[in-house]
Amino acid sequence: MSEPLLEVDDLTVQYETDDGMLTATSNASFSISEGEFFGLAGESGSGKSTLAKAIIGGLDDNGQVSSGTITYRGEEIQDLSDKELSQRIRWKEISWIPQGAMSSLDPLQRVSEQALEIGNVHTDLPDEEIRDKLKETFDIVGLQESRIDDYPHQFSGGMQQRAIIALALFLEPELVIADEPTTALDVIMQDQIFTYLDRLKDELDISLLLITHDISVIFESCDSVAIMHASQIAERGTTDAVHANPRHPYAFMFKEAFPDIREPKRELEVIEGHPPELMGEVDFCSFADRCPWAAPECREGAPPTESVEDGDPSHVTACVRKEEAYEMYRSDASPIDDGSGAQSIAQMGEVD
Amino acid sequence: MSANQPVLEIKNLKKYFEGNTDIVDMIMRREPSQIQAVDGVSMTLQENESVAVIGESGCGKSTLLRTLIGLHDISAGDIVYKGTPVSEFDKADWKEYRRNVQVIFQDPFNSLNPKMTVRESLAEPLDIHGIGNKEERVREVLEQVELQPAEKYLDRKPTNLSGGEKQRVSIGRALILDPDVILADEPVSMLDVSTQAAVLTKMKELINDFDVSMIYISHDLSTVSYIAETVKVMYLGRFVESARTKRLLEDPKHPYTEALVSAIPVPDPTYDRERTEMSGAPRDPIDIGEGCRFRDRCPEVIPPDDIEIDQQAYREIMSFREFLEREEVGLERIEKIVEVNERSALVDAVQREYFDHELTGKNESTLRSALTSLADGNEDLAIERLRERFESVCETTPPEVEAEPEWHVACHHHTEIDRTTVAGGGGTDATGDSGSDATGSVAHAEHQ
Ligand code: SF4
Ligand code: SF4
Repeated sequence: MSEPLLEVDDLTVQYETDDGMLTATSNASFSISEGEFFGLAGESGSGKSTLAKAIIGGLDDNGQVSSGTITYRGEEIQDLSDKELSQRIRWKEISWIPQGAMSSLDPLQRVSEQALEIGNVHTDLPDEEIRDKLKETFDIVGLQESRIDDYPHQFSGGMQQRAIIALALFLEPELVIADEPTTALDVIMQDQIFTYLDRLKDELDISLLLITHDISVIFESCDSVAIMHASQIAERGTTDAVHANPRHPYAFMFKEAFPDIREPKRELEVIEGHPPELMGEVDFCSFADRCPWAAPECREGAPPTESVEDGDPSHVTACVRKEEAYEMYRSDASPIDDGSGAQSIAQMGEVD
Repeated sequence: MSANQPVLEIKNLKKYFEGNTDIVDMIMRREPSQIQAVDGVSMTLQENESVAVIGESGCGKSTLLRTLIGLHDISAGDIVYKGTPVSEFDKADWKEYRRNVQVIFQDPFNSLNPKMTVRESLAEPLDIHGIGNKEERVREVLEQVELQPAEKYLDRKPTNLSGGEKQRVSIGRALILDPDVILADEPVSMLDVSTQAAVLTKMKELINDFDVSMIYISHDLSTVSYIAETVKVMYLGRFVESARTKRLLEDPKHPYTEALVSAIPVPDPTYDRERTEMSGAPRDPIDIGEGCRFRDRCPEVIPPDDIEIDQQAYREIMSFREFLEREEVGLERIEKIVEVNERSALVDAVQREYFDHELTGKNESTLRSALTSLADGNEDLAIERLRERFESVCETTPPEVEAEPEWHVACHHHTEIDRTTVAGGGGTDATGDSGSDATGSVAHAEHQ
């Protein structure tokens, strides 16, 4: 395997709040190779967006990388100044398709003007070359080159989305970070966007870090996946392995919470509660309050990340009871003695 | 109310808006135009039935809902509630209607008053309608939506509730007056997936327990099987297909429904789903004529009987004419794209730019002469030339909606199939292998 393009190692990101240090990402590790599509999945409150922001130095003012490293092409970048990141990394190397991207175009500027602005900040290319690059990228995302001088309102919704992708890509970055790029879009449009993202992968060998709550999209479009819960990476590996042999209770419950059009009557998993807000060091499993298989040992330390023996060397999970929990889940043994909470709603029938 | 009288009947309902409202239109001084947001929608809702209306943003489903609760007046058609048309409602009827037809909105974050506790939010409808025994009723409802123990929730304000809890309070609020009908507008789309299923299954259970009927409005086909027995797919103001949920998901008939179903991601890396080939997005429902709503994107748009043409090549011609007609490509823009000014070169260049599929004979020569007119600056003639040869039945006549029990599809392809079935004798006879309904026989006929 080639040298990783991006390596996140043991990364902890915290926000300073009135109540103390809020931990958004705790000891997270993963890496992305060249040309790889990597999905980061989790509910709101999992820390996935924070992790992505940390990579490009886009944390809010009260946020900071407290420990760990982010290595891009062999160089640690977590401590680079905003200026350095801006001149050397952002857009040219790592670019960004923001969340709620539809509203990220400036309605008062032509798309080409927005591209020039970006290009002038991050490169010393002459304007004409920047325009040419934008034209080429428009072509790849299926927009007519002549439209680079249009205002955003002259585009339909789907075209705007593609224009935004073009803006993220026209300086030919190696890695694109897309934070919920298609959330709130209709499925057909979502599928169109992924058609273009697939094409970028094939034609430009671009890597993608896709952040989404929608694991269906990740399973379909990514090579690897990390599933996060409340600051911790619960499980990670190739999408094939994580889909076939999930071991962390959050991973398999989360996966089973998703509807599958092929099985419209399947019972969907329900995960009670929501990810907790965590202050200070997270030295326990952050899923313990929601996990039907939680035991005292789960709170005695952050579960170590261990290999899942299934033929995928990258497949790891962080659960101290991984085999037992999965066995119990498989055999449908009721995990909770007093029968309260966790699964009662899941058992309710669906509609004929 | 008699046994078979529907709770709610929607009869050829239309809601048009005057266009010209946005700033761009004003700057461009466009003529006011009609936005056909809801354009002839009919359905009935039986007691205890749960029907889903599914469509993408802009399809008119939210306008439909707003019209149903009296937020918009009706442009044409009618809504009949337990036998009485709303057009004949007096003040007391409206009050009764508002009490019995309750809405659950999309956004649990906005639909609850942030200053009110859960108790106050739930008691408010009871106050408005002068119903006593409030505390008891409030606790009962909290239990029904599984916010237990009630004490834990009664005095909380929305900020201290999770999204799922808030939406349960909204559901409780909608149920507390014991309504006949619930109209739910994307009730779970703001929730995390792990909560969506719980809220939907809970809602489904409550409709059964409470003898409520529901119209469930959503863009999401993937969870609809958890809440509704019947689905109606809406596109640009009209229902294009209605069927039992399972059947619609397994065997969509309308080309739009097919596209919609096949674009749903499947959570399985080993499953090789093809990406959609559909391009573009729904147009605006403005001055859209009478033909099929989907004609500008439909991959199966039907060529005239008397010409031979490759389907994809035909699709390109139709799309190009649509562009011209909607003034999305004018000569000026084309010149910019192809960057040649000489007339003959321009014709070639346009053809290269817009047409990937090969044409021959009369099809080719018609296209060339149309492009020549375009290059000469005569767009209208270009459109006319294309229309003359290539006009589709899909543009001229609205596809029929077949009134088969439990299956309606508004597409010329399927009305033809259906006529064959009838002509072949037996009509809606149960000849299909599943055998028990008309749907079976239609599906069967298609495969013969
Ligand atoms: S079993 Fe323990 S370590 Fe594993 S997910 Fe549950 S709480 Fe966490
Ligand atoms: S009527 Fe024509 S355009 Fe409409 S869906 Fe059917 S084939 Fe397509």
